[in-house]
Amino acid sequence: MKTTLIAISIIAVLGVALVSQIHFAHAQLSQTTSAKQYLNLRAEVWNEFFRMTTAAFTVGAIVSGTMIWLVWRFRESNPKNKSPTKWEHLEDPTAGSYEEEGH
Amino acid sequence: MGHDTAEWVFVAIVIAVLCYVGVDSWMIQKEVEDVPADAEIIKVTGQQWYWSFEHPNGTKEVNTLHLKVNHAYKFEIYSRDVMHSFNIPDWVVFEDAVPGHTNHAWFAPNEVGTYPIQCREYCGLLHYNMRGSLVVEPNT
Repeated sequence: MKTTLIAISIIAVLGVALVSQIHFAHAQLSQTTSAKQYLNLRAEVWNEFFRMTTAAFTVGAIVSGTMIWLVWRFRESNPKNKSPTKWEHLEDPTAGSYEEEGH
Repeated sequence: MGHDTAEWVFVAIVIAVLCYVGVDSWMIQKEVEDVPADAEIIKVTGQQWYWSFEHPNGTKEVNTLHLKVNHAYKFEIYSRDVMHSFNIPDWVVFEDAVPGHTNHAWFAPNEVGTYPIQCREYCGLLHYNMRGSLVVEPNT
């Protein structure tokens, strides 16, 4: 748990740091060009749109991929599901109730 | 790999992507809202149902705005009556014109040409016809 939280923090900090680096590099490049070089709003806005689309599709792929994996892995016909997992203590799930089993 | 680990990795990836989205959007917004120091101020007034423009030297124009290429302009946008929205689609200029409040937008056209200006907030019967033109002229 503790290790995972540390890992999450590191990933988040890395993400933030990398994004900042990209923009600093961009700003430095613009400084070396003519002083009359204005920001191209159209390009910036459309680039941002495509980056956000990529992020949205990435999150979508992770979430839907996980759901597909869950359905596939825990389907009734999966040979791995023949024996109950350690979370499934009922010997016969069709008989009795959770109350009787003391859950 | 236990269940806990898999779930935390999942959470970490999603949090990392969301952090990226937040930081990147914030930085781009900061860049986009940073008006160049040499931007010329154009006062834009919306009223039913036309646009009027005032240059710093006092020159006024109605519905057709003439600007120079490769020069930055800052729009001070307000409305005399109801809500309007000042939009130049080709240059991603899009800001509400609100009575009693001045909004700002800026851009620096880098191509000569004529571009449509239109009201993007329903403002009454002739809203559809509240259009204008932006003429970007060579900087001679």
